[in-house]
Amino acid sequence: MAKYLFRRLAYCGLVLLGVSLIVFFILHLAPGDPVYLLVADGSPDEVLEAMRQKVGLDKPLYEQYWIFISGVLKGDLGESLFFQQKNLKIILQHLGPTAILTFSAVFVSLAISIPLGVFAGLKKGSMLDFFSMFLALLGQSMSPVWLGILLMYLFSIKLQWLPPFGYGSVKHLILPAITLGAPLAALITRMTRSGMVDVLQEDYILAMRAKGVPEKKINFRYALKNVLIPVVTIVGIQIGTFLGGAVVTETIFGWPGVGRLAVSAIMSRDFPLVQGIILIVSALFVLINTVVDILYTFIDPRMKLFE
Amino acid sequence: MQYSETLRRCLRSKFFVIGGITVLFIIILAFFSTQIAPHDPETPNLVMRLKPPNWNGGWSGYPLGTDPMGQDVLSRLLVGGRISLLIAFAAVFFSCLIGTCAGTIAGYWGGWVDNLIMRIGDVQLSIPAMLLVIAIVAVLGPSLPNLVIVLIITSWVQYARVIRGNVIIIREQDFISAARVSGFPVSKIIISEILPNVLTPLLIVSSQQIGFMILLEASLSFLGLGVQPPTPSWGAMIADGREYLSTAPWVVFAPGVALMLTVLGFNFLGDGLRDIFDPKMRT
Repeated sequence: MAKYLFRRLAYCGLVLLGVSLIVFFILHLAPGDPVYLLVADGSPDEVLEAMRQKVGLDKPLYEQYWIFISGVLKGDLGESLFFQQKNLKIILQHLGPTAILTFSAVFVSLAISIPLGVFAGLKKGSMLDFFSMFLALLGQSMSPVWLGILLMYLFSIKLQWLPPFGYGSVKHLILPAITLGAPLAALITRMTRSGMVDVLQEDYILAMRAKGVPEKKINFRYALKNVLIPVVTIVGIQIGTFLGGAVVTETIFGWPGVGRLAVSAIMSRDFPLVQGIILIVSALFVLINTVVDILYTFIDPRMKLFE
Repeated sequence: MQYSETLRRCLRSKFFVIGGITVLFIIILAFFSTQIAPHDPETPNLVMRLKPPNWNGGWSGYPLGTDPMGQDVLSRLLVGGRISLLIAFAAVFFSCLIGTCAGTIAGYWGGWVDNLIMRIGDVQLSIPAMLLVIAIVAVLGPSLPNLVIVLIITSWVQYARVIRGNVIIIREQDFISAARVSGFPVSKIIISEILPNVLTPLLIVSSQQIGFMILLEASLSFLGLGVQPPTPSWGAMIADGREYLSTAPWVVFAPGVALMLTVLGFNFLGDGLRDIFDPKMRT
C-alpha cells in the first residue's frame, strides 16, 4: 500500500510538472513578442522593458521557466492587468462559487441518475427503461448553451419560479446546477443501468436467489454496491469537465466563479490572469483525481492487483 | 464479415437507421444551404428587426423570423449549420490523422517513445479542455483556422489512446510476425497490415467525436471565442438572441433545436456503429 501511495503521488507530481510546462509554453505560442500579452495595451517602452526583465524574456527558455516556476511555488502568480491586483487573490475569491456550483451539480446529477438507472436496469425493456434511456441520450446531446437558455426560458420567464441570473441563494443555484450536471447525469444513468443489468446475471446473484435471499436485499444491497464502484471514478474524472463546462454555465447565469472570470479575463485581454486560472484549476483537478484514485483502492481492493 | 451480413446488421440497428437518416438529412441541408437560404445570411436589415415567425398570419418571407440585426433566422441557421459541420469534420479528420500516427508509433515501438507520447497525452488531459482552449485562443486570437487547431489539440489524445491499445494487441499476432520475418519494411507492415485492422475502432471513435466537436464549437462561438460575426454559427446565434429571450424566443430556439437534433443524430449514429461492429464496447 505504501509503495502504491508513493508511486501515485510521484506520478501526480510529474503531471503537475507537465501542466506547469504547458501553461508556461502557451505564452510562447504568441506570434511576435510575447511581452505584449503581459502588459496592458499601449504601455510605454519602459514598462515593456521592465516586464521583459522581470520574466527574463532575454534569457534562455529554461531560465525563464525557472523564474516562472519559482514564482508559482512562492504563491506569486503575477498581477492582473485589468484588476491591478494579485492574480492569486482574485482567483481564490472566485473559486468558492465554482466549488458550490460543481458540488451541487454532482449532487443533482447523482440524485437523478442513480435511481433512474437502477430502476431502468431492474425493469429492463419497460416503459421506464425506455424513458430513462431516451432522457440519457437527450442529456448527452444537449449543449450547456442550449439547455441553460431553455431552462431559463421555462422556469424564469414563463413560470417565473426561479431567478434567471445572479448569486446568493439556493434558488439561484438550481438552474445552473441542472445545466452543469445534465451530461454527467446522462452518463451515470447509462452506466448504472447497464451495470445493474450485467450484475443481475452473475452467478452469485443467482445463488442468493436460489438460497431465498429477499429480492429487495439482493437488488439494493449486493447488486447496487457493485454498480456504484465505477461511478466514483467517473465522478472524479468528470470534475475536470465540470470545471470546463462551468465556463459556459457561469456565463449564462451570471455566476461569479472562475469560469466566468476566465471569459472576462480573455475579453479584457488579461493574459496573466488567464494563465493563473488555468494553472490553479488544472492543479486542483490533478489533486482531486489523485485523491479519488487513492480512495478507490480503499473501496475496491481488487484495484491494487493492477499495480 | 461479408457485406450483405454487415448491411443486414446495420439495418437492424434502430440507432444506426434513425441516426443515419437524421445525419444524412442535415448534411444535405448544409450542402445546399446557400442555394436554399431565402435571404442573404449576413446582411443586416434594421427595419425588419425581431420579426416573429408567422405561418398562420400570412407569408412574411421569414419562416423562422428575424434576429436583432434584422437578418433571416432560417438563412443563418442553414449557413451556420454548414460552418459548424465543416469545422467539426475538419477537426475530426485532422485529430484522427494525428492521433492515429501518435497511437501507432506509441503502440508499435513501445518503450520510451510510447511513454513520452502517452504521458504528454495524460498531462494534456489534466488541463480541462475548455480552459486550455480559452488560453490558446487568448494567445492566438479567435479565427476559423485557430478554432480548428484548438479542437484538434483537445481531441487527438482520444484517438491516440484507442489506436495504441489496438496496435499493441495486433502487433503480437502471427501475421505480423510472418510479415516481419518475410523482410517487409516497417512502413509496409504498418500501412498494409496494421492500419486496416484499426479502421473499425477509428470509425467508432470518430463518429462519437463529431457530436462532441459540434458542442464544443457551439460553446466557444457562444462565448465569442469561436466563429466571429458576421459569419453565422449556432452558438453565436444563441448568444445574439439571449438578451431578447422573453420577447423574441425564436431567435435562440431555432439554433438550439438544430444543435440538439444534429448532435443527437451523430450520437445515435455513433452508438449504432458501435453496436454493429463492437458490441463489447457497449456501456
